[in-house]
Amino acid sequence: MSVQAPTANNTTHSARRALDRLTWMLVPAAPFLIVLLIWVMATGILHPSKETLPPVTDVIASIHELAVSGQLATNVMASLYRLLLGSVLGIVTGVIGGFIVGLNRKMAETLNPVVVFFNALSGIVWLPLMITWLGIGTALAVFLIWNTVFFIVFQNAALGVQLVPEVYEQGVRALGGGRWQTLRSVTLPGALPYILTGIRTGLGFGWRALIAAELVGAASGLGTMIFDAAEYHRSDIIVAGCLIIGTIAVAMDRWLLLPIERRTVQRWGLVADAEKER
Amino acid sequence: MTQTRAAMPLVRRRLWATPDGRRFITGAVLLVVILFGQSVYGMATASGRLDPSLRNATGPSNVIVVLDFMPDRFHNERVAEYGTFAGRDGALNRLRLRYVSPDNLRALSNVAWIARIEPFK
Amino acid sequence: MNLARAPHAPAAQPLPVQAGLAAAVRQLRGVKILFPFVVLIAIWWTIQATGNFADRVLVSPERVFDTMVLLISHGVLAEYISTSLTMIGIATVVSILFGVPIGFAVGANRYAARSLEGFLRFLQGVSGIAWLPLIIIWFGFTHTTTLAVVIYTLIVPIIFNTMVGARAIPEHYALALRSLGAGRLRLITDVYLPGALPSIVVGLRLGMGYGWRALIAAEMLVRQGGLGDLIFGARTSGQIDRIIGGMIVIGTLYVLIDRLLVQPIENLTVARWGVLRK
Repeated sequence: MSVQAPTANNTTHSARRALDRLTWMLVPAAPFLIVLLIWVMATGILHPSKETLPPVTDVIASIHELAVSGQLATNVMASLYRLLLGSVLGIVTGVIGGFIVGLNRKMAETLNPVVVFFNALSGIVWLPLMITWLGIGTALAVFLIWNTVFFIVFQNAALGVQLVPEVYEQGVRALGGGRWQTLRSVTLPGALPYILTGIRTGLGFGWRALIAAELVGAASGLGTMIFDAAEYHRSDIIVAGCLIIGTIAVAMDRWLLLPIERRTVQRWGLVADAEKER
Repeated sequence: MTQTRAAMPLVRRRLWATPDGRRFITGAVLLVVILFGQSVYGMATASGRLDPSLRNATGPSNVIVVLDFMPDRFHNERVAEYGTFAGRDGALNRLRLRYVSPDNLRALSNVAWIARIEPFK
Repeated sequence: MNLARAPHAPAAQPLPVQAGLAAAVRQLRGVKILFPFVVLIAIWWTIQATGNFADRVLVSPERVFDTMVLLISHGVLAEYISTSLTMIGIATVVSILFGVPIGFAVGANRYAARSLEGFLRFLQGVSGIAWLPLIIIWFGFTHTTTLAVVIYTLIVPIIFNTMVGARAIPEHYALALRSLGAGRLRLITDVYLPGALPSIVVGLRLGMGYGWRALIAAEMLVRQGGLGDLIFGARTSGQIDRIIGGMIVIGTLYVLIDRLLVQPIENLTVARWGVLRK
C-alpha cells in the first residue's frame, strides 16, 4: 500500500477538474469561432463582392476607423441616451400602472383585454402613426422604447403585486400599519423581484426596438449608422454595426442588469422564495 | 357530467370536448374564413360577372374590366397581370385588357372586387 | 371554473333555469371583454370630435371603420392580410422543422448546450431588423428577405426552448425505456419529444410573438405587400384612417392567432404531457 498512489490520483483528478472547468468557461466562444471560420473560408473560396460579404479584416478595420473618428462613440451614446430616457419613463409608468392594477382586482379584470390587445401592438407597429404625430427624431424613438418597456414592466409588476401573499399585508395592517406603510414595507419588496425581471427583459426588448426605430429614420444612433451605410453599400459598416449592437445587448444584460437583479433578489429573497410556494 | 370530465385530465378527449379544443377549432375556422372567404365569394359570384358573350371563349379575347370604384395602383397592377393593359375605356374604372387567354378570363371572373367583364369591341 | 374543486357540487343534469343562467353568464363574458374597448373608442371619438385636428392627424372612429370596409370590399385588405399570414405561417413551419432538431441535437450534450446558449443570446440581441440592410443586399426587396428576417427571429426561441426542454427530462425515463429494449426512434417519439414538447410550445408561442412584430417591421422596409407595407405606405400619403385601421387589424389578428390557436395548443400540450415537467 503506497502513500504515493492517493496523491498521484488526487493530482490527476484535480487537474482534470481544472481542465473541465476551463473547457466549461471557454466553450461559449466555440460557435463564434466556428462562424468566424466559416466566414473566412467563404470569403477565401467563394470570393464574393465586398458588398455581399465583407471580409473579416474590412469589418475590423471599419470598427477601428469608427472608434478612432469618434463616430462610434457618438452613435452609441445617442442610442443609449434614447434607451435610457424611454426605459426610465417605461419603468416608472410600468411600476405605477402595475401597482394600480395589481392591488385592484376589479380593475385588473376590466383592463385585461385592452392590455392584451395593446401588448400585441407594442413597438414598431406604432411607427407610422407616431411619425405622423411626433415626426422623426428622438421623441419617436423614446416613444417606441417607452411602449415596449412599459408593457413588460407593467405586466411583471402587476403579477408581482398580485403574488405577494396576503398574509403579510394583513399582518402589517393588524399591527396598525397604514396603507402606505403596507405598500412600502411589504408589497414593494415583495413585488420587486418580478419588477426587476421585468426591467431586465424590458431593456433587452427596448434595445431591439430602438434599433428598429432608428433604421427608419433618425439623426444619429447605431441604427442610423447601419441604415446610412446601406445606402452607400458599405456592408462592412453594416456588419460592424450589427456586431456592436449584439455586444452591447449581451454586455448590458450580463454585466449590468443581471447583477442588479441578483443582488436585490438576494436581499428580499425570503419573500420571493415564499411566493414560489404558492 | 362536466365534473367528471374535468377530473380526468390525462385521458385523451375529443378536441371539441375541451374548452381549449373548441377555441382552437374556432380559431382555425376564423383563419380559413379570413384567408379564403373573399376568394370563395368571388368564385361563387363568377357567373354574374362575366358577360354572356365571353362565356365560351376559346382563344384570347379583348375585354373591358369594369370596377365599381376608382382603382388604386394596386388594382391596376392586379388586373394588368391577366393580359396586356391597353388603357382606359372612357372612365378611369373601365380598364381595357387585350389578349386575355381563356384561363385568365376564368381567373378574372373569380375576382370578387371586379364588377363586370365586358367584351371590347 | 374549477369544478374539480367542488366536491359537493351536484352531479345531476342542469335544470333549464340553470342552463339559461349559464348561457346568460357566457354572453356576459363576451360583453365584459368588449367593454373596455367600447370605452376606449368613446374616448377616441370624443377627442377627435372636440379637438380641431386636421384629417391627416386624427380621424373619427367611423371614418376608420368606413375605410376598412372599403379596403375589404376592394379586395386590398384580404390580400395584405393573406400575405402577412402566409409569411408568418411559412416562417413558423420552417423554424419548427429546423429549430426542433437542432435544439435536440445540441441539447444532448452539456457543453454544446452551454456554448450555443451564449451564441443564441447574442443573436437575439442583434434583432433581425438590424440585419435587414445586409439581407436586402443579398436577396433584394423580395419576400425571401422578409422570410429570412422572420425565420431568424422565430427560430432562436424555438432552439433555445427545445434545448431547455430536452435537458430537463430526467434521465431515468430514457433509461427505463431502453432497458425494455426500445430503439432510438422509439426513445425520441416516446420520451424526448413528449417530454420537451411543453417547453417547445412555449418557445413557439414566444417566437411567434417576436416573429409577428419582426414581420410587420420587415414589411415596412421591404414594401412587397403585407400589413406592414399597408400602414407604412399609408403614412406617405397621410392616410391616417388606413394607418389606424391597419394597426387595429394587426393587433386583432395577433390576438386571434395567439389566443385561439397557439395558446390552446400550449394548454392542450401541457395538459397531455405536462406531468413530465415536475
